[in-house]
Amino acid sequence: MTELSKTQLNANLMVIPAEGEEPMFAAGDNVVISHRFPIGHFRVPNYIRGKKATVEAVIHPPAVDNEEEAFGRNAGNKRHYYRIAIPLTELWPGYAGSRRDGLRIEVFESWLSKETSK
Amino acid sequence: MSSQIHDHTPAADAGEVRPSYYEVMETAVRELLVEKTLIGAGEIRRQIEVLDSRNPALGAKVVARAWVDPAFRVRLFANGRKACEEIGITFYDDTELIVLENTDRVHNLIVCTLCSCYPRPVLGLPPDWYKLKPYRARAVKEPRALLAEFGTIIPDNVEVRVSDSTAMVRYLVLPQRPQGTEGMNEEELAHLVTRDAMIGVVKAGVIDLPEKTQ
Amino acid sequence: MNHSETLVKQLPTELGGLEAGPLQRVEHELLPWEKRCHALADVLDFHKIVNTEEKRRGVEALGSEIINNLSYYERWIVAFANILFAKGVLTPTELAVKMDEVAARSASVGCCS
Repeated sequence: MTELSKTQLNANLMVIPAEGEEPMFAAGDNVVISHRFPIGHFRVPNYIRGKKATVEAVIHPPAVDNEEEAFGRNAGNKRHYYRIAIPLTELWPGYAGSRRDGLRIEVFESWLSKETSK
Repeated sequence: MSSQIHDHTPAADAGEVRPSYYEVMETAVRELLVEKTLIGAGEIRRQIEVLDSRNPALGAKVVARAWVDPAFRVRLFANGRKACEEIGITFYDDTELIVLENTDRVHNLIVCTLCSCYPRPVLGLPPDWYKLKPYRARAVKEPRALLAEFGTIIPDNVEVRVSDSTAMVRYLVLPQRPQGTEGMNEEELAHLVTRDAMIGVVKAGVIDLPEKTQ
Repeated sequence: MNHSETLVKQLPTELGGLEAGPLQRVEHELLPWEKRCHALADVLDFHKIVNTEEKRRGVEALGSEIINNLSYYERWIVAFANILFAKGVLTPTELAVKMDEVAARSASVGCCS
């Protein structure tokens, strides 16, 4: 018996997930960190803004946006965080260590989009 | 006085009983909150006991268990927090734990460049150096030079992987088990694991350089 | 990006990748009030009176001069006071009056726990 995919199962059972329940990205996806500059508070450091990354893992379960949490939002609008990987050579021009070296950092879903360039 | 650049919080002077301005502020805030019944009278005292009970020996116990028990090791990597809770280390906050495995190919290091996130439930409170500028600025940019200042040299063919905490995940490095420890029991193995090895700045079984205290 | 924009777009507590000197491998045993301050932070977070992220933002909002001149827990307690004022939990007058009371009390009999 072939296994049904989650999407097929959902369709067969007519299950519709709530907004934000399903992760937008999966491990292995190539993503880009948004190139925006909020003031006041943020949890995405400047040094990774606009960089390309690979999703290493989806963090479960969905959680509150910590940038909104900082202004008192303790619940609601939960989405996933992702542990993403960026080579240090991508972050620092002339990086002197090994080209294997890398960063791992957690980023909230609203800061990521699919990388579309070749 | 003190800053992110250098910290010289004075040690408590046995003869000095007058509290600092900030100690007075802390006391006043706490007493007002208790008077307004926003927090309970014993809650702070209880949380101090919780904090005092958290120290690197807990993390060392987790590491030693992972070294000797392959099934525990698998569970630890699957869900760090659950595995710690399994051996009695409760997490009093909402953080999760990802345990990072050091291997012959990967050396892990943890940092918080934005503030001072640290796996407190399983390691206790972080050392000052972890919270100060040199470590937090350089760990993500020149980790090898920083590790060298701890006396740790990682060969070029080994990846240095730096995890910067920004949200609810905290990290614990699982150092490699030192060579020649096959005959040791779990308790003996735990003694080889220092706090600094679980941050990733030194390897397990290495005698730490003397630490400055002030 | 000119200098003033940089000040605004970077958090004063954000240090990743900045130029920095050699490691200073210092540590200190927490003073009793610092430990109480840490416990206070945890208790405020449990109750969601001030959650941990609000505390972080509150420290950032102190600005670089205060951040660079106060120690770690000194920053926390000032941030807590500011956040509690903004939420209407305490007023500056209430806190000032209580601080005078605490200071006077401890001047006569010794400290604060």
